Amino acid sequence: MFKEVLKAQWLAARLPVVLLAVLAFALPLLTVTYGGSLENAPTEQVAQWLFAAQRIGLLIPGLALLVGLLLGIGAWAPDHLGKHVYALALPVPRSMYVMLRFAAGATLLAVPVVSVGIGALIATLSVSLPSGLHAYPVQLTVRFALAALVCYAIFFAISIATRRAALAVLGVICGIVLADVLISSLNLRTGMSVAAWVFNLLTTWPGPLAILMGRWALFDV
Amino acid sequence: MCRAAGLALALSVVAGGAALRAQLPRGSTPHARALLARAESLETQLARRDTLNRRASERQRVARRFGAGDVVVLLGGVADEAVGAKVAAAGAALLDSLGILPVGFVRSRVVVAYDAAGVDSVARAEGLVGRARVLADFGRPVDTLAGGFVLASALVRAYQEGLDSTWRSWAPGGLSLDWKEGREGEAARLDLLTGNERVGARCLAGEISRCALWLGVDRDAHPFRTRYAPDELRRVVASSGWTYGANATAARDCVQGSDDACVRFAESDRVIDATPAGGSARGSLLREIWAVHGRAALGRALADTSGSVAERLARAAGLSEDALLVEWRAWLLTGGGGKRVTAEVADALPVVVFGALLLFAAARSGRWR
Repeated sequence: MFKEVLKAQWLAARLPVVLLAVLAFALPLLTVTYGGSLENAPTEQVAQWLFAAQRIGLLIPGLALLVGLLLGIGAWAPDHLGKHVYALALPVPRSMYVMLRFAAGATLLAVPVVSVGIGALIATLSVSLPSGLHAYPVQLTVRFALAALVCYAIFFAISIATRRAALAVLGVICGIVLADVLISSLNLRTGMSVAAWVFNLLTTWPGPLAILMGRWALFDV
Repeated sequence: MCRAAGLALALSVVAGGAALRAQLPRGSTPHARALLARAESLETQLARRDTLNRRASERQRVARRFGAGDVVVLLGGVADEAVGAKVAAAGAALLDSLGILPVGFVRSRVVVAYDAAGVDSVARAEGLVGRARVLADFGRPVDTLAGGFVLASALVRAYQEGLDSTWRSWAPGGLSLDWKEGREGEAARLDLLTGNERVGARCLAGEISRCALWLGVDRDAHPFRTRYAPDELRRVVASSGWTYGANATAARDCVQGSDDACVRFAESDRVIDATPAGGSARGSLLREIWAVHGRAALGRALADTSGSVAERLARAAGLSEDALLVEWRAWLLTGGGGKRVTAEVADALPVVVFGALLLFAAARSGRWR
């Protein structure tokens, strides 16, 4: 059953998956092409190169978000198109079907993740690092996988959510904005922001989005 | 004698009158004379009004004493008692958060607003005569938060000015009250990452001895010879056009290719900073000591007066100089001690839990229910 769902999902999402894989492969390599190999490079180049590594590192969580978004929404796209008739026609409980869809999407996530890993490995092997600098291809790949997985789970759940759930999420967001507007209109001078507080809560460990924060440089101290 | 005095008086009256009359053209009409008299009268009135305003303003700006803990400030023009108290409290809180100024130093100073009037008499009345005055510009009207920052900054500045010459020359203004990783930290990092000096690039590449040179924390008799490459000095001299003045010959020789001339020019002219690292980068070393080894360590280092900057900081941190610089380099490049890219169980756990929750929620309800 899983094989069939995976096959159906692959057929529906193969173009974005391949494009994401190419992007994921290229991104770590950009770190190297920007500064070139350090084998015979002047020491000044190390500075440019490390600077580039840090800047390119900022793009990798963005790519994880994109991967999660496209595959999370894509997981349900054929069902939405077919008005869920296919799902209802299958002789499996609904929860099982959701699990199969999730697992199939998560399996497809492996394609860009492996691409990031291969790209990071090639980038690492193509340079000789000066002392004090290290490469982290494995850590970067695993972190990318975790970040893509959490984004995928979010968009997967949003995609299949009921109208009531969507309204509830929208209501919470509106409530946060309204609270901030109220606080600023009261001129309390506390500098407090509910949105900032919620953002902090989500993006600071053990917040679920903390994985997207932090440092993502392939080459670091 | 009496006749001479009378003559002098008469002459002065005539001369004064002549001066007044000389303002009118010959043959002026009575109307013109009346207009002139009117103008003179208005001028006198304006001067009187200015004097009155000035006196009123001085009365308003009479210094008042505000204090919080050991911090004392004399503010002028603060009608609201609460504002002055808040300024003092905010300043004391900021100093407390920095935590490196010795208590004795704060107790021996009084911060005085530039525009405060009657400071001497207030200082006498409040028993503050023994305290050294530190001037600060609080602006008008005095704002509680900004005022607190001005107050604390003035004391920190005064403290830095009182440090020994090694500290003063190495870190002018290096102590920042409100260090922000995204601002000062980023500036220091950019300085190291994009600076033009070779020692900085080699420090970045991991040569720790070069970090000491770049930061200028070693005690070096010839800093321009060791911390800069001749072509770096030459580039600065050539781009700035310093081929005139007392060191014109050295500057010209430098541009024409003499390395010694470049060093000679830099040493004599002092237009190039002896330390390649900028103020933010030097400040980052102090901040690293503060953040990693505690405020007491930084306080100890600043109070230390023997040895080079590196020796003082290393002694205060309880590390070797090299170990301290390795620590600083990693601290700066990782954004204030932020971890490099990690993928540990602690990172994975929230993802797995949150993912499972979302999957559970998705499985429980859906559009076709």
